[in-house]
Amino acid sequence: MSLAPVVAAVGATPVASEHRGCNLRDLMAEAVLDCLADAGMDDLSSVEHGLTSYESDHFNLGMTLGAILHDTIGMIPKPNVRIEGGGATGALALRTAWAHIQSGLCDSILVYGCEKNGRGVSSRTANQLFALSADVDWEMMVGGSYTGFYAAMIRAHMEAFGTSEEQFAHVAVRNRHNAGFNPIAQKPMDISIDDVMNSRPVAEPYKLFDCSLLSDGAACILLSTEEWARRHCPAFDRRAPVYFVATGCGSDTMRLGDRYPELTNFRAKRRAAAQAYAMANISDPMREIDVAELYDSYSGVEIQAVEDLGFVEPGHGGPSVAGGIFDLDGELPVNTSGGLLGRGAPVGATGILQAIEVVQQLWAAVDPQRQVAKARRGLTDTHAGIASISVVNIFERRD
Amino acid sequence: MTEKVRSKIDISLPQSATAGDVWAQFRGVERITMELTQSYKYSLGKVSRFFMELENGRFLATRCAGCGKVYAPPRPLCPNCLAVADWVELSGQGVVKTHSVLHFSPGSNDDVEALETPYVLAYVLLDGADTLFPHLLKATPDQVHSGLRVRVAYSEKPVHHPIHLMYFVPVVERERQ
Ligand SMILES: [Zn+2]
Repeated sequence: MSLAPVVAAVGATPVASEHRGCNLRDLMAEAVLDCLADAGMDDLSSVEHGLTSYESDHFNLGMTLGAILHDTIGMIPKPNVRIEGGGATGALALRTAWAHIQSGLCDSILVYGCEKNGRGVSSRTANQLFALSADVDWEMMVGGSYTGFYAAMIRAHMEAFGTSEEQFAHVAVRNRHNAGFNPIAQKPMDISIDDVMNSRPVAEPYKLFDCSLLSDGAACILLSTEEWARRHCPAFDRRAPVYFVATGCGSDTMRLGDRYPELTNFRAKRRAAAQAYAMANISDPMREIDVAELYDSYSGVEIQAVEDLGFVEPGHGGPSVAGGIFDLDGELPVNTSGGLLGRGAPVGATGILQAIEVVQQLWAAVDPQRQVAKARRGLTDTHAGIASISVVNIFERRD
Repeated sequence: MTEKVRSKIDISLPQSATAGDVWAQFRGVERITMELTQSYKYSLGKVSRFFMELENGRFLATRCAGCGKVYAPPRPLCPNCLAVADWVELSGQGVVKTHSVLHFSPGSNDDVEALETPYVLAYVLLDGADTLFPHLLKATPDQVHSGLRVRVAYSEKPVHHPIHLMYFVPVVERERQ
């Protein structure tokens, strides 16, 4: 296999609950200009391939956004492909781009993703449209919702392992605190465990502050061969080279009930992690990974994730998280960006934003208050639904 | 003055330009209303019989002819064997394996829109089934716990979506077989 792709440059807009002054074309254009500035490039004429990453056609009132965005950012007449994978869309887009480079189909590819998350429609319409992203014939029609499915899972985790609401409140507090050091974060907050415990119930045992954000935003990453980056991207030689070394993907049933008897954890995530670790020659992820962005769609999901990613033993997620080993000053800092809880989650851009955080950590280029010292290897964990699709991507600094 | 654009919601203009803003000339924003109304003739497909039998007060599942696994909700095709399944009738009694108490209704259809909050979403292992059936459990949230015996109850009133022809209720002691 050829050398892994490098991250040539990255760009993003701020994440907000609503970018009222921008439609998706505008947001995408802003992120691409940010990426050009990061690359030290004047335009995209040297970039060979595009890859569009967004989830929802209906929120954005368009069925051909891949073509529209590709046109908007001046990539015509070069090839493009659109990737959709629910919440995992951005990470799946990067994985697909990885394969484009590895196969030799192209030497450079711009992965660009964005989302507007339904502020333009009434909440009834938004809920009906969100319902279409779950099992339409059964779970959603009875009155279920993703918050409810995740809540049922963490309840099973609590019963099996003694995980407590205070333990997952720690995640809600820490990630919003980390967001305070991230200038593009949507909702940094300094709150206490009590604030989380006393917030109003949404789907018990999850309460308001256990839930992540709905967001507007855009982000992009320019991936290429090392040779291409040295030739076309002036910024590449000015910082440590970061390689996209491994990618893993797994899947699971759409409905939680079809996974019985396993209700506590994410099988797809274990599979994605195992693939990525094999590819990156990682045998002890807790020791061998320095920084990670985890898919904290709900606070307890991070507890389930640290188990499924093999950072801690199954069932040990609660006390490990609450003990602080994943905090900024802990053994393996996670969600330094603020995560989905604090930075926000513009779906098609989320996996890309996670990768940008990890890459900038490896470049040692983030705010010193959230910078992880001497980070050499970072991981992103992204999933769709209740991990019906799961993607783990790994990045490594090599200098 | 009459509005020249009927769909216009509002216009916002920047008070002053921010120094160095490359988009300074593009900060004025107009919003309009766009309508999109959709109604589907939606086929329930090969699981239709499940819904038809709910009208008769019968609860059906499918059993794989290959591996014997019993699916509730039904699957016409076993994903393990890719063998076509057979319909089987279950008693409708089962046990709660996990649940959540929902404090908002997602309004995904008119039946759901009409639910009073909070309500219980329960995952039930029906006697004779191998998967969990998710549905409303009409019970006080405090009563509900893993291991609670429940049974299918059938709606007396007309519903919009046929899945609401049924729901779960706790089994009271004297009902137990
Ligand atoms: Zn079978």
